[in-house]
Amino acid sequence: MKKTKFDPIALEIQWKRLVSMVDEASAAFVRTSFSVLVREANDFAVVLTDSQGRSIAQSVLSIPSFIGTLPATVKHFLDKFPAKTLKPGDVMITNDPWMGTGHIHDVNVAMPIFHKGKIIAFAAVVSHMPDIGGRIRNAGIRDIYEEGLQIPRLKLIEAGKPVQALLDMIGQNVRVPEQTLGDIWAQVAACKMLEERLQPLLNDINLDELGAEIRSRSEAAMRKAIKAVPDGVYHAQTRHDGFEEPILINCTVTVKGEKLAIDYTGSSLQVPRAVNVVPIYTFAYSAFAVKALLCPDVPNNEGSFMPISTSAPLGSIFNPRYPAASGGRGMIGHMMVPAIMMALADVLPERAIAEGSSNSSITVTGEHRGRPYAAVNFMNAGQGATKHREGFTMLSFPSNLSNTPIEVFEQMAPVRVIERAIRRSSGGEGRHRGGNGLRFEVEMVADTPMMASMIMTRFRTAPQGIFGGRPGKVGALRLNGKSIDPAEHWVLKKGDRVVMETAGGGGYGEPV
Amino acid sequence: MAKKMKKNPIKSSKYESIRIAVDIGGTFTDGLAVLAPGGRIWVAKTLTTPRDPGEAVSTVIVDLLKQVAAGRGGAHPAVAEVVHGTTLVTNTLIERKGAKTGLVVTKGTRDVLGIGREIRYELYDLNLVIPKPLVPDALRIEVDERLDVEGGVVTALTDAEIGRLIDGIGKLGVQAVAVCLLHAYVNDTHEKKIAAAIRQRFPGLSVSISSGIAREIREYERMSTTAANAYVQPQVTEYLERLDGRVHGLAPGAPLRIMVSSGGFTSSKAAAETPILLLESGPAGGVLSAVNTARNAGIDQILAFDMGGTTAKACVVVGGEPLIAHSFECARVSRFARGSGLPILMPSIDLIEIGAGGGSIAHVNDLGLLNVGPESAGADPGPACYGQGGTGATVTDADLVLGYLNADNFLGGEMKLRKDLAVAALQKLATRLKLAPTDVAWGICNIVNENMASAARIHIAEKGHDPREFAMVATGGAGPLHVMEVARKLQIPRVLATIAAGAGSCLGLLAAPARVDRAWSNPTLVKDIDWTKVASVYADLRADAENELESAGASTTSLQWWIGVEMRYAGQGHNVSVSLPWRKIGTAMSAALLKEFERNYRKLYGHLVPNAAPQVVTWRLTGRSVVKSHQFTWGDARVSAQAVMRGKRDIWLPLKRKYAPVAVYDRYSLKPGTRISGPVILEERESTLVVPVAADVRVLPDYTVSITIKEF
Repeated sequence: MKKTKFDPIALEIQWKRLVSMVDEASAAFVRTSFSVLVREANDFAVVLTDSQGRSIAQSVLSIPSFIGTLPATVKHFLDKFPAKTLKPGDVMITNDPWMGTGHIHDVNVAMPIFHKGKIIAFAAVVSHMPDIGGRIRNAGIRDIYEEGLQIPRLKLIEAGKPVQALLDMIGQNVRVPEQTLGDIWAQVAACKMLEERLQPLLNDINLDELGAEIRSRSEAAMRKAIKAVPDGVYHAQTRHDGFEEPILINCTVTVKGEKLAIDYTGSSLQVPRAVNVVPIYTFAYSAFAVKALLCPDVPNNEGSFMPISTSAPLGSIFNPRYPAASGGRGMIGHMMVPAIMMALADVLPERAIAEGSSNSSITVTGEHRGRPYAAVNFMNAGQGATKHREGFTMLSFPSNLSNTPIEVFEQMAPVRVIERAIRRSSGGEGRHRGGNGLRFEVEMVADTPMMASMIMTRFRTAPQGIFGGRPGKVGALRLNGKSIDPAEHWVLKKGDRVVMETAGGGGYGEPV
Repeated sequence: MAKKMKKNPIKSSKYESIRIAVDIGGTFTDGLAVLAPGGRIWVAKTLTTPRDPGEAVSTVIVDLLKQVAAGRGGAHPAVAEVVHGTTLVTNTLIERKGAKTGLVVTKGTRDVLGIGREIRYELYDLNLVIPKPLVPDALRIEVDERLDVEGGVVTALTDAEIGRLIDGIGKLGVQAVAVCLLHAYVNDTHEKKIAAAIRQRFPGLSVSISSGIAREIREYERMSTTAANAYVQPQVTEYLERLDGRVHGLAPGAPLRIMVSSGGFTSSKAAAETPILLLESGPAGGVLSAVNTARNAGIDQILAFDMGGTTAKACVVVGGEPLIAHSFECARVSRFARGSGLPILMPSIDLIEIGAGGGSIAHVNDLGLLNVGPESAGADPGPACYGQGGTGATVTDADLVLGYLNADNFLGGEMKLRKDLAVAALQKLATRLKLAPTDVAWGICNIVNENMASAARIHIAEKGHDPREFAMVATGGAGPLHVMEVARKLQIPRVLATIAAGAGSCLGLLAAPARVDRAWSNPTLVKDIDWTKVASVYADLRADAENELESAGASTTSLQWWIGVEMRYAGQGHNVSVSLPWRKIGTAMSAALLKEFERNYRKLYGHLVPNAAPQVVTWRLTGRSVVKSHQFTWGDARVSAQAVMRGKRDIWLPLKRKYAPVAVYDRYSLKPGTRISGPVILEERESTLVVPVAADVRVLPDYTVSITIKEF
């Protein structure tokens, strides 16, 4: 390790202090946010970068979607608004999926922090908005224009003065302006809190040097972890049910010395549906898989991920051209994680996990007794088995979304849950069985019609097993006993019953 | 451990009485007796007796009575009451040693307990362990009945169905049964009917119903709470009955009170009915002790800080009241990971637990940086300096090398610490990190302090406060050792160290009021509230709570009551808590409710949501006896006329970055009014107060040491 002015104790303390300031700002943000996804699923991140947008510290609760995204966004902001033009009190904003986090529902905000007249850092917050206008999120959406309001890289606040025209524009284009604007202001408040907490330290800490040291140590840890994996080119393929036809996920992992490259050539072309995955998200979830597999304790900074690269041909599902829709990017993006794990299964048999599936959901809207309602229930599927254990039954992976309690769901919408049960024996057989999926049955109880939108995965292509483990059972979606298409919106009437079954996970090893 | 007493015995007056507190902890059972009037205290300590925890309670009570009687002609005044805190419920759940328990649920929901909330508590750990439900699949029975959200009957509960259920229960061979039906928080008739039928047929079974234990919306959390209550009930009931007998034998006529998690005590009978409320009784006692100390000093905004052997705890107290949380997690699979335990819906003092204690072990992480904890050397083998075979360098080893701990004064000198072993343990890390052992020692201390400050900082931010608004109150064996540096990191200028920090929980038990909490979830828009119904529910809740408070010895004429309401705008996912002093419940209350909701909402979010519909989710009732200020003073003759300086010793001064000699005082020798300047060390039997920077140190009238920090 190169010699620096930091000893391993001073560095730990200064860095921990910075991380805790970032977490303090993130706690304040969660407390004031309106978004249920922020509160219940931590669908946000707070990051402190150096003056060039390189990450120093990221909020600990950050979910995988935000690995490496905010520092990249800050660099995009700097391209548009060069550092020498920025003034104290400026705040920048965008929800461009290619520059942000992969879909327009996440709004990114960044603020320069000045010390002695110079920019020394950026505080940045990204968060999933309560609403961004457009159609209700559904996989069937055709392009980004249908998805809602696009905010290019703009100043939200100019030298301390809010840009009212932009605020009015946002307010006019979303369903719950108080909540969406309230969350944007909460993001600004979190940036300011981070700045305020940071100021007293700036005389003692050189952020550029500290950041460089942390990144270089993180990078060294990841390099070491990759080096322990045998060199080679590893391959895996999996499929998503798709729409008119299945979507292919083709993944090639090349390990060479201390570097790991993941290429998605051979995957399907981009589709006119809302499931395209822009490169920044392709990278975030690929990096998550590598981190979880090889080095789970390294911090979320770009040093850790420097030795990892991802690529996909332009125009493919993992590198789509504008104006591709990407609101449901997770449906395909989450499948990269098991694909990478399957590719590396042969060389990492101790750690490999068989395939499972991502979350499904049902969203219902309508009017009941003269009042509008909207409610969503996420449901999870069985996960894959490993050499050491059975697959988890109905656990959210790789994202992290909880179900809605039956009593709360029935409180929010005119429905009656008939059953929430484990689909026994739906996990694939094996030396260790895959986890079981869910059986969820719900009845509509209102006199007025209800709109229902179901996001379902894996009811045609089963999650695969590894080392001879059998695939899990596929899921199903039925209305009054008949299979229906989840890419459509459905209108339910009183007494209608919807059954949603999620898939079981793949097994590990030949069944005994 | 009888203490040397002054010669002239104080005459026992017929107006005098003593109150006794006993707290069972993992390692020690602590006891404390206080004499009224005057507030003189005596302390006792013995090893916990896990096989029969009541044995240690008896030992401690006998010891205390002896101490009080000594010098009073061998007689002690009558015991007015015994207040008890215990980790029995916590341990039963952690060790999974509860009763074989069955669970009765609504048709279609038997898997709810196994499914949980479907989320991972740790994002990057592919092999995390999910806690197993307390009731296995085979012991769950579905019953064909159904209520709707308003409590209306969709499927009636027939006698034939009850009969089928009773037969089913008979075949399970269980000692306890939990009943949790959908929407029973609004309508408890089906649960009550089932409970009555089970009790009639199986009089020996413990029966817990969800509408009686946690009358709140969210079926998984309510089911988990009810199951946990049933699971621990047979043991707790038996334990409390035996303990009642023991106390009766030692102190005839003295009622037994039990501390609950919300920071109050209740009667042992009520505790046996809802034993789950005992979960956090010990930590609650520690916080109440800190609150009492602060109240005597006229401070009502504090961060209560407790640091022991394996963990540190912090709690935010605002306006003299500890914050209360309404859900809690017990028996975590991964101790410091939120979400890895079983959810329990109960009011408890809202505190955070951090993996930082005297036994926390230092190590070098993946990045080559020094880290401390959360792994702990525990009591066995303990820190390297205990000389019991521990080789990892711990916080205690660092504290010893830095001069903060006195090798000859640990536990009053009963245990000799070995500095050579501490240095050897530190040397290993020093070699690896290419640093001097002293730097590593200070690094360990500094890092563990930073960990605690970080966690406290985030907790305070979650509650919407700024650390600089608080004073810190230190308890626990290691609390006074580390509190100054944690306070400095948080920019907190004022620190208090309570009397008898080692027995801090017991002081809290004695300062606690009798307290009862009740809840009722019934989500309704404020404009649609049926006030007649709400008034009648509150009348029932209050009558029930009054009975319990009376049985806990509270005078019904001097009770304080609060109405708590969890509210939100319809459609939002998070509640805002509103609290109103008791008032007549009726339509007229709407305005007050809305006003308070909007005030709190504005405080939290900065502005209101126009055109949104305010909604009540859960109604709560809190009743308690009046909280009095308690001043304690040593029962024996520890305090001398002169401050006794034990000498000087070299300690590490963090701001000077070097060792320098500082004065060491016997804390017991310091009279109220004493003023000393920091840096200084005050030693007592169970702990050491370390003031390593310039500070004003004063002894307050209640023997609390107050420190005002002069340099940051």
